[in-house]
Amino acid sequence: MGLRKQVMIVLARASCNELGRLLKNQGRSDMRPREGQARPAQPNKHFVWSRVGFVFRLVCSSRLRRGGREELYMWTWKALNQREDGSLRPSAFRRGVVSSRASSLQLSNAKEFISLHRGAINSLEIDSTEGEGRYLLSAASDGTVAVFDTHRPTSSSSSSSSSTSIAQHHPLFHLPRAHKFAISRALWYPIDTGLFITASFDHYVKLWDTNSTQVVLDYKLPAKVYGIAMSSIATSHSLIATATADVQVRLCDLASGAFAHTLSGHRDGVMSLEWSSSTEFVLITGGCDGAIRFWDIRRPGTFLLLDQSLSQLGTRPSLLPTPTPSNNESTSLPASSKSSSSTPILPAQKRRSHKKIQLKPPTQSSHPGMASSQNRATAHYGAVNGLRATADGFYLLSSGSDSRLRLWDIESGRNTLVNYEAMSIQTSKPIQLAVTPDSSLVFVPCMASLKAYDLWSGTTINTYRGHYESVNCCFFNAQDQELYTGSNDRQILVWSPSIPAATQIEEADSKGGITSIDQDNWSD
Amino acid sequence: MAESSQSKSGGKKRSRSESEGDPDADADAASLQSIQLENDLNFTDTAIALQMMKAQFPKLDKVVVRPFILRSQLYSSVKDRTQVDRDLESLKKEAVVRVFKLNTGKDDHAIMFMDDYLAQMENAVKRYDAKDKQLSDVFDWFKQYVIKSKTDVSISHPELCSLLSNGGDVTEKHVTLLINAGLLTCQLIDQNLYWFVIPNIGSILKGLSQGRKELLSLINRTKYKEMVLANLEKKRLRLSPLDIRFHIRDLIGSGLLKTVQSPIGLLIRLSRD
Repeated sequence: MGLRKQVMIVLARASCNELGRLLKNQGRSDMRPREGQARPAQPNKHFVWSRVGFVFRLVCSSRLRRGGREELYMWTWKALNQREDGSLRPSAFRRGVVSSRASSLQLSNAKEFISLHRGAINSLEIDSTEGEGRYLLSAASDGTVAVFDTHRPTSSSSSSSSSTSIAQHHPLFHLPRAHKFAISRALWYPIDTGLFITASFDHYVKLWDTNSTQVVLDYKLPAKVYGIAMSSIATSHSLIATATADVQVRLCDLASGAFAHTLSGHRDGVMSLEWSSSTEFVLITGGCDGAIRFWDIRRPGTFLLLDQSLSQLGTRPSLLPTPTPSNNESTSLPASSKSSSSTPILPAQKRRSHKKIQLKPPTQSSHPGMASSQNRATAHYGAVNGLRATADGFYLLSSGSDSRLRLWDIESGRNTLVNYEAMSIQTSKPIQLAVTPDSSLVFVPCMASLKAYDLWSGTTINTYRGHYESVNCCFFNAQDQELYTGSNDRQILVWSPSIPAATQIEEADSKGGITSIDQDNWSD
Repeated sequence: MAESSQSKSGGKKRSRSESEGDPDADADAASLQSIQLENDLNFTDTAIALQMMKAQFPKLDKVVVRPFILRSQLYSSVKDRTQVDRDLESLKKEAVVRVFKLNTGKDDHAIMFMDDYLAQMENAVKRYDAKDKQLSDVFDWFKQYVIKSKTDVSISHPELCSLLSNGGDVTEKHVTLLINAGLLTCQLIDQNLYWFVIPNIGSILKGLSQGRKELLSLINRTKYKEMVLANLEKKRLRLSPLDIRFHIRDLIGSGLLKTVQSPIGLLIRLSRD
């Protein structure tokens, strides 16, 4: 019995590695014509698939504890059949496989990053070059920056317990004294990996040349910098937006090396910011006062302020006109009517005969954008410490120090009231959220664990526990469906899609379901 | 329009309480019931949960407070939290319930039915005798103009004054009177914004936060940080006037405790994170 089980486990593991390779090739070889390869590939394909088929039948017949996984395997098995006879398109198949891999992440036992940082890791980013997101840039609280290659390991260590060896990735380079104080964010230049930008609590934003690891440009800001952002779709500008403890958001121009302009309107420091993923001129900032503001950088002032009390029932705005709220300070104003928002206050003042009410006079400066500084609408009851827009640019996720995560519909500017189950978010630092590109899952660092929620319903899909201290940042690598997390315990952990069948067979064995496998005519 | 919605919610309330237990119904009430049935035909989970928890609100001896429900208690009973939020939003807009932000801990909200809140307000106003009788008109203006139209948890100073001035001339003294009577509170971060509050609730809130701590420490002291629910229910909390069922629901909803099925029954365990 023991030998048979071990043989089956080895067979299952091998089949799944084969399956993994097959799926990877499947995704990549969609474009290549298959007629020329049909003949020689046939026997190989069938051999592989017969082994795979055996494994899947094995897995599906045994009693599985997690019903969801079983459906996933059944789906993959059916989908392979459909792909083979052409009824499932390659893009749909790829989407299904990618989403099933993204929802089954576990601490990777095949890959690890050896981090030489001696401080908490504050920022992780993979470059966004077309088709190959390969280099991981990490920045830490001790002022160090490191770059890792996620595809090629530098060495591998074999652990005695398992037969697989762990690929170790050492940093390609490690800058020990990039900044004097903690680095809060490090970004790749959106076009290519030739440049990267770091922002630190020592009031500096520095632009580095990757190959020579020298500072090319630096900008001195008036207060410590909490975050920076560059638009990845920008073609007409190359501006770095900086969020500092000062109330103004400054835009630094790469081309000229000076500041372009400042955006004022926040009442307290700005903790997080993000460029819109659909328009190159829209910047979204979240402040310590709890407000989220949308700025069009071509004109002064905020054009939209998110208010958590304005909500819509459902994730799409309603078609019927909703009654506007009775407050005078309307939140979404087109540029032309901004000046009219200050006038409704005046008639109310005239109505009162007593002049004892000290009303704040409508703002002195005449330009329309300043009117929105009177608007006190808050998106969160605490500071907004994380912002992430979905890849299609329709929704915005914001996390606040009141331990709430909110989903906003950008087009209507309303709270969709999706409730993400209980989480506790650290309050002092900005955190980095991650969303899968197909907008199905959101990864949120909650204290010492990382939680994955379904974006639309708010249910917890998974909790990833592996760090010893609070997790600060996470990044989802869409190419390989891997998640990288960095925390205060100076480690970068890799979470990769788990190999399903082996673990399932071992579980089935412990529950005594092995008898049904035995009955599955594997007779010798 | 505001009055009709008030009577509609009153009718809804009356017909539900009739259906709950009153055997001999008036001809009047019966006809009212049949008229209002189309409002009552579909219930939402949230509405049922609110009714149930209001019925289970503990009887307090020292302070007279109408029943209120915490938001986290709703989350513990109804599975889908997003649906709870959305239902609550529509109930708020229909002025059936009113939501208040509490200052105990982050993101605590209390939900109270509109007629309970109005009754509580009447009690508070009666108990607080205003020195200047002219100023006490402000309570009627508050009830008539502000409560009916503003369904949020907070209100800004200019807006408050503009809504109150529908009743008459408003001065700073009127607003001070409202604050002293316990109907409004200044926000700490911003002097120009006010929270709506339930009057005379201070001692209960203190009991709420202390009771939470006591319950958590009770479970923390056990060897495996868990306890059978049946045993836990029988205990009494020393520091809180609210009963233990209230606190258990609240802590499960906010995620600090979790329930586990076991052969003995339901276990309450401290959630680690």
